[in-house]
Amino acid sequence: MDIITRDQLAALLDNLASSRTLIAPCLVEDVLLYRQVPSSAEVAWDFDLPVLSAKGALFPPTESLMTVDKVGDDGEENDVQLNLLETIFEDEQVIFGVRPCDARGFRALDALLLDTEPVDTYYARRREKTTLIGIACGQMGPSCFCTSLGGAPDDWRDVDLMLTEIEDVYAVKVVTEKGRALLGDLSLRELPGEPAEPVLNDPLPVPSDEAWTSQFDDGFWDNLAERCLSCRICAYVCPVCRCFDVRDELVPATTFCYDHYERIRCWDSCTGVNYRKIAGGHNPRSEKGQRLRNRFNCKFYYYPQQYGVIACTGCGRCIDACPVNIDITEVMEHLVITQEGASK
Amino acid sequence: MSKTTDIQAKTRQLLNSGQVSCVIGYEVGPRGRTRPAFIYQPDDAERMVWNRSCTHNLVPYVSEKLQSIEKNIPAGETETAQQQVAVVVKPCDSRAINVLLAEKQFSRDQVYVIGVACEGIVEGAGFGREDNGNLQARCQRCSEREPVVYDMLIGEPQKVEAVDDYSDLDRLTDLTPDERVEFWLSQFDRCIRCYACRQVCPMCNCPTCLYERDDSLWVGMGIRLNEKRTFHLGRAYHLAGRCVGCNECERVCPMKIPISLLNRMLEREVEAAFGHRAGVAAVPSPLVTILDSEDGISWTS
Repeated sequence: MDIITRDQLAALLDNLASSRTLIAPCLVEDVLLYRQVPSSAEVAWDFDLPVLSAKGALFPPTESLMTVDKVGDDGEENDVQLNLLETIFEDEQVIFGVRPCDARGFRALDALLLDTEPVDTYYARRREKTTLIGIACGQMGPSCFCTSLGGAPDDWRDVDLMLTEIEDVYAVKVVTEKGRALLGDLSLRELPGEPAEPVLNDPLPVPSDEAWTSQFDDGFWDNLAERCLSCRICAYVCPVCRCFDVRDELVPATTFCYDHYERIRCWDSCTGVNYRKIAGGHNPRSEKGQRLRNRFNCKFYYYPQQYGVIACTGCGRCIDACPVNIDITEVMEHLVITQEGASK
Repeated sequence: MSKTTDIQAKTRQLLNSGQVSCVIGYEVGPRGRTRPAFIYQPDDAERMVWNRSCTHNLVPYVSEKLQSIEKNIPAGETETAQQQVAVVVKPCDSRAINVLLAEKQFSRDQVYVIGVACEGIVEGAGFGREDNGNLQARCQRCSEREPVVYDMLIGEPQKVEAVDDYSDLDRLTDLTPDERVEFWLSQFDRCIRCYACRQVCPMCNCPTCLYERDDSLWVGMGIRLNEKRTFHLGRAYHLAGRCVGCNECERVCPMKIPISLLNRMLEREVEAAFGHRAGVAAVPSPLVTILDSEDGISWTS
């Protein structure tokens, strides 16, 4: 295996940071987050799973789509002109320390945003300009279940460059040409052997399509949802939840002026009360049970039906962040057990 | 008998007699995390627990449950005893009941209050992170061990010597105004507008939150610093004299924003200026105006 030392890696990151945006896990106050860092000095080297996934680097919480300026308005209507300017992401960026579950999340997002027409040009642009440096997990955390969904703590398939920490050096696996280009002419030392296998949790059973459809009207959803707060934590920490809302808004101006607008899109979530509200005020998913049912069906049934991949990577973030212990693995287990009982 | 068995017995009795249709309390999930539980059948009463991780304030569920019961009453039928729900409360939670009673969100006879003599809740409760067994900071300074309102009291309230000198606010008051702005902006910067703080709050019960209007009237949709600052500061003002200090907003925040500092700053101001502590009695905040009729507005203090 090829190895890179911590010092070499730090120098590489510093070099990258000087020419492009470097995003890495870092401690913001007490909170571990993927953030843009000016240099490797800010990187949290010994990190587990950041609170938010890395998806924000490709699908930001708020993204400007275009700006609209009204110009030439001197009172004569004929002279008024609207300038529409599309916001185009130009920067090259590197995300360092992507965990395999988050990288797999990008693959799931690609299925909808890149591989299905119409292509989401904003996501596509960022995706093209982004290089992923993954770091394998030495072991699975207590809430992790990536292996149940086809992933693995050392899954290198969705990154450009995979690193595996071995004491104070990293084993390097070049996955793509993009990844190779990052290394430049850096000479890697060769060591005999391969990195140790990660410690795995027992895989969980995953409900079949039939389990989701046959239990659509089950009272389980209402019972599960009773304690749900209808907040959006689960969707916002998730590497695959990608719902958004689009709105045209006045840009706050220093002077009183109504001529500058921005079209933005922001994260949204189907767990929120108003997500499904339609013109006239009707809300087809006004009950919490309906909303949670949608959330889980989307991940394991609707999204795979439409785009071919499960919209969950087993990162376990939603389990750890939910204030009222709504647990996706408990949902999976319930559906599997009920389905087994029904088919006996 | 332990508090758990007392709560279970009471739950069974309330449901058996038909006095209430639902008892809201706590259970322990398969991962060992304590969480809210809704019990409808006497046989399910054994799920109920009381432990030092019963951190959730269950009062927001009371209004919600009452509304859903009301919605499900068949047309033509009027009030029945079934409209009562029971809820397990700690002393801090019980003050939320008083505030909501004062604000006419439900009436006293609609809720059966199972008060628990609290001995404090541990850090990490609700998330399965009860690593060190230390009491939460809010519990360390709390001397209220008996709920302010209840129909039945579980356990013997112990006298505790605890003084709330608001010393946690020193880190703010020692700063210059500019430094304070910088402090808060750096905190709000992490906010993702997941609204967990609002959703979990017993006092955040507006049918349409003014920070989430479809028309962006007061604040835009952006998850950006400007909007986040407006949301947090506005929410704090709306809780002035109403916040009971259950601290659920801070507990649930995935980004660890120290929301309690804002709320407690206002709590101290309101107490100093008006001698008012939210929910100690069922009277509205002196900072709330009540529209009695179309004719005019009366001030409550």
